[in-house]
Amino acid sequence: MVLPTLIKSVKYLVSKPYTRIVPRKSQPFKTESIRGAHVLDMLKCVGCSMCQQVCPAACIDMVVVEGEYPQNPKKRFPRIDHSKCTFCGLCVEYCPVGALTMTTATGYELFTTSKDSTFKEPLKLKEALGKVTVTKDLFTSAYAQGVITKESSSRG
Amino acid sequence: MGDREYQVLYFGPQHPGAPGNIAFKLWLDGDRVVKAEVIPGFLHRGFEKMMENRTWEMNVTMSYRFCVEDPDHLEIAYALAVEDIYRAEIPENAKWLRMIQAEMGRVASHLFWSHFIGGSVGLRTPAYWAVAAREEILKWFARISGHRIYHNLSVPGGIRYALPENFKEETLRVVNFVEEKARDVEDALLRNSIFKARLRGLGKLSGEEALSLGVTGPVLRASGVKYDLRVNAPYLNYDKVRFEVPVGSAGDAYERSVVRFKEIQQSLSIIRQSVEELRPGEPLRVKLGLSAPAGEGVARVESARGEYMIHIISQGGRRPYRVRLKSMSMPLLTTVVDYLISKEEVTIADFPVILASLDPCPPDLDR
Ligand code: SF4
Ligand code: SF4
Repeated sequence: MVLPTLIKSVKYLVSKPYTRIVPRKSQPFKTESIRGAHVLDMLKCVGCSMCQQVCPAACIDMVVVEGEYPQNPKKRFPRIDHSKCTFCGLCVEYCPVGALTMTTATGYELFTTSKDSTFKEPLKLKEALGKVTVTKDLFTSAYAQGVITKESSSRG
Repeated sequence: MGDREYQVLYFGPQHPGAPGNIAFKLWLDGDRVVKAEVIPGFLHRGFEKMMENRTWEMNVTMSYRFCVEDPDHLEIAYALAVEDIYRAEIPENAKWLRMIQAEMGRVASHLFWSHFIGGSVGLRTPAYWAVAAREEILKWFARISGHRIYHNLSVPGGIRYALPENFKEETLRVVNFVEEKARDVEDALLRNSIFKARLRGLGKLSGEEALSLGVTGPVLRASGVKYDLRVNAPYLNYDKVRFEVPVGSAGDAYERSVVRFKEIQQSLSIIRQSVEELRPGEPLRVKLGLSAPAGEGVARVESARGEYMIHIISQGGRRPYRVRLKSMSMPLLTTVVDYLISKEEVTIADFPVILASLDPCPPDLDR
């Protein structure tokens, strides 16, 4: 008999659908603790390269950024390639001064919807988020414009 | 085997009936499969070697990558093995939480399996309810660990993140939700006459056969052998909870399904008991040094697919000297498939059903 299957099916036929239409009707599922794109506090980072050392995906390199950073005399900061990053959060965990934090921006938000820019600029977050990842060019301009603040973090 | 007399067919890796990144070369006589040759290597990444080239803390993110369906057991096994090298004792709280994590992983894996087995006989509707239940577990994981699939939650030394505030209520809510859905799927599949007709008597393995082929896990238990590491060689706090080990007798595809559905209920019961044991506020982690002492670490866990073992040799320093993984799907995809085809009349329509009933995780072969 296939009756048990049919009876159960009727129950689900009249119940609300479980799926959500993303991104048309609702946003992707998020929690407070989702590990997403990084933010670097350049006023804390001492340039020790620990984040680079622990990154299992080897997607961090250290770049020199001109500016006034008294705690970081060599002016070396991590640059993260988000097209390689696995969002494991080890860099955040092992940073001795808590300069790196993670936002909740993940998945398709890290990419633009236009095909041209998806692959060329994977490092740039969607404009609407108003946050910028720790690429060399982007974070310098973001700091200048005040886009990154110390509060823009979720998990430290 | 001369190719001329038989029709040769490639099954997978994109075939919807193939269980993942794997292919089979099938020799067909009419619609009967007379020989199957497994073609591995679609996910060859050399996990063991990669782990030997990475530091202890990095390897957490490597340890689980070869089984998407059930990464938690692999992660926990790695953490246990490294703690064995460090001779570290982790907090009780972390042990209970690891058990919750492991059982949630097992339930999610079995629910996902019911999607495959349902799909293989054309019963896709109940399969979707199972996926919804699994989704609820993935969201639970996202809440406590920050990721849905690869959690990075159990690290050597304990648990990485503090628990969210309403952890207990949230966990019990998920358990209740999943329990209801799992029962619906179970009723809809196991009591369906088409399902029974397709699976009964298919892919039969006796207890001795299963043992001699090297099978562990639900497939072995469905053949009547009561062997479960959680009982036979308890790790974490499995000796402090009460649960049954479901055992079948017939050893066919249907019995395997019955055993898995019963295991879901048992796992949910273990989660309920473990949640009660958690002490909020007590520590979850001890910090281990960056350099490990020289020595060897071994861990064996009962994963959703059977026994998984990891053996790590350390010569001191920041990296392991040698990592050896003993996977759970190797016998299922090699010796068992060969044996079943040689023993019984397997048609091309039954082949995906047998594969789904074994529930292998093909990237295992490529570790
Ligand atoms: S999150 Fe992980 S993979 Fe990404 S940059 Fe940090 S350490 Fe590397
Ligand atoms: S972000 Fe942290 S770990 Fe990385 S270089 Fe700066 S201070 Fe060091």
